[in-house]
Amino acid sequence: MEAKAREAKAHRAKERPPAAPEGLPGRTEQGEGRSPLRWIMLGGLLVVMMVPVYLLLVNAFKSQQDILDNPFGIPLSGLTLKHLSAAVTSPQFNVIGGYGFTLFLVVMVDVLCILLAGPAAYAIARSLKKRTQLVMLYFLAGTFIPGAAVIIPVIYVLREIGLANSVTGLVAHDVASTLPVSIFLFVGFIRTIPVDIDHAATIDGAGRYRTFWTIIFPLMRPAVVTVLILNSIGIWNDFVSPQILLSPSSGHYTVTTAIYAGISQYSTDLTKVFPNLLLAIAPVVIFFIYMQRHIISGLTVGAVKG
Amino acid sequence: MVELAALKRPGPRDNTAPVTPAPPSPAGRRSAQVRAAAVSLGLMGPAVLLYTVLTVVPVGVAVYLSLTDWDGFSSVSFIGLDNYRHLFDDPSSSQAWYVTAVIAVSGTVFMVGLGLVYALILKGRSRANSFFRAVGYFPHVISALVLGYLWAAILGTNGAINNTLAKFDIEPIGFLFDEKMALISLIAVIVWAGFGFNVVLFVAALQTVPAELLEAAAIDGATKRQTNLRIVVPMIAPVVTVATILNLVGLIRAYDIIVSLTGGGPAGSTQTFTYLILARSFEGTKVGYATSQAVFLMIVSAVLALVVTALRNRQDQAATG
Repeated sequence: MEAKAREAKAHRAKERPPAAPEGLPGRTEQGEGRSPLRWIMLGGLLVVMMVPVYLLLVNAFKSQQDILDNPFGIPLSGLTLKHLSAAVTSPQFNVIGGYGFTLFLVVMVDVLCILLAGPAAYAIARSLKKRTQLVMLYFLAGTFIPGAAVIIPVIYVLREIGLANSVTGLVAHDVASTLPVSIFLFVGFIRTIPVDIDHAATIDGAGRYRTFWTIIFPLMRPAVVTVLILNSIGIWNDFVSPQILLSPSSGHYTVTTAIYAGISQYSTDLTKVFPNLLLAIAPVVIFFIYMQRHIISGLTVGAVKG
Repeated sequence: MVELAALKRPGPRDNTAPVTPAPPSPAGRRSAQVRAAAVSLGLMGPAVLLYTVLTVVPVGVAVYLSLTDWDGFSSVSFIGLDNYRHLFDDPSSSQAWYVTAVIAVSGTVFMVGLGLVYALILKGRSRANSFFRAVGYFPHVISALVLGYLWAAILGTNGAINNTLAKFDIEPIGFLFDEKMALISLIAVIVWAGFGFNVVLFVAALQTVPAELLEAAAIDGATKRQTNLRIVVPMIAPVVTVATILNLVGLIRAYDIIVSLTGGGPAGSTQTFTYLILARSFEGTKVGYATSQAVFLMIVSAVLALVVTALRNRQDQAATG
């Protein structure tokens, strides 16, 4: 199918040489690129999407008075790193401190999710038994559950098994919530890997665990990348689970719960609001700029298939 | 783009007949079967166990609590379907239903509409186009909570816009403090953050529309607009349907962005259903009632998700057969 698409594209390029020279902005078919409407639409897009980013960047380096007087301006003499460094070192609520804990959560959930979802998906993908397909449906049902709305009962369950208000409990809940989509994506991918490879490994004496981890898993790279991106961004941005499953007394803040704690307290002090928001947004946006292609395709595939 | 092409793949049904390896000898067949089952269980067991305990059991607990009048402290007494009978009774619940429906429907309409318009503009494979797509997409990777706070700092009474207006002696605009306008602002921010996702989805679909079709239309004298409306959009209709349902399901669960942008206010005018459920559970007075609403929300999103599954299956069949 892909080859066909490529052929069609090559065909199009050959048929109409002057039409769409790739890489040149705007000059598409029928001179549409020069139409003012297109540029108005794109200009509008750029302004509407980027003005909040501009305000965030500029105001993180201004004093309260400058922000209030002229939020859009850049006072060349009044720019200061004071508030940003205050936000970095603030003892009350600390977004930078939140990085560490959030990263820890992301890594733990990613690793555990792969360790659990990988073998399960392998067993499901390589079986034709009705029973096993029912297990797949059982996992798929999880995608119907609105996580935030049923978070309260999760507290009761965690309390029963002695994990209430603990990091272990939060990690366990997060891993459980990532399993359905991860398993679904893995199963779909494993089924595209020829089963002959498994047979060859069996003949060479490998058990099923060994076959999976040393032969199949390395072939699953694209699916693993998709799942890692989907889960990492989901966990990094999650607010409800850490907020509700970890009380403030636990002393653990993720980026989102630190922002929540801080801004609900100091919402009128814009020299605290803007620098902290900048600290919360910057890592994700930098990650996005570097991994754009993987992130966009990963999140799209994840949302559509899951 | 290779990964995006995978979107079109007909899903897990194109099975390559996987089987467990044949047992070595007929004599050992039975024990080999048992062993194979045990290995399968070992592979799936941990995931099934964790998922059951922390996802399925809580739903069971929610269903159970929804049939009680539990207030979070005293003993639990069973009251049958009473909570469900009163789902729409009290004013704040019916308002939350209304707000949720307005956000879900209008948010979806604008996100899909804008997504379609910009996908048609940005469907080419040039560098400039992928830059603009990324510009529209980036809020999707940022936490909704953080985006809400950012927009609150722009639209609030002390926000960037009103402070600028004040310089010209213009009265502040109640973007977040006027009841009607707060809901509109909330929807606008949701659309701002979410439509870029649809653009990417639709562009992936548009790039699979065969060039021959467009050429034929051009030869027949169709204008750009006619081609788009009569040929291109109908070609990607299935993807538009999937996106519509995805957006609806996502929006009826909206929570984080409301916490940070409006806090449900003013006067509950932006309080969605999920917001109300969590607020009530925390007050700790009406846990039973709140869980009945959670169960109902779950049923609504399950129905919507089942619709999307059915549509997707039909789309797969159309694509393969």
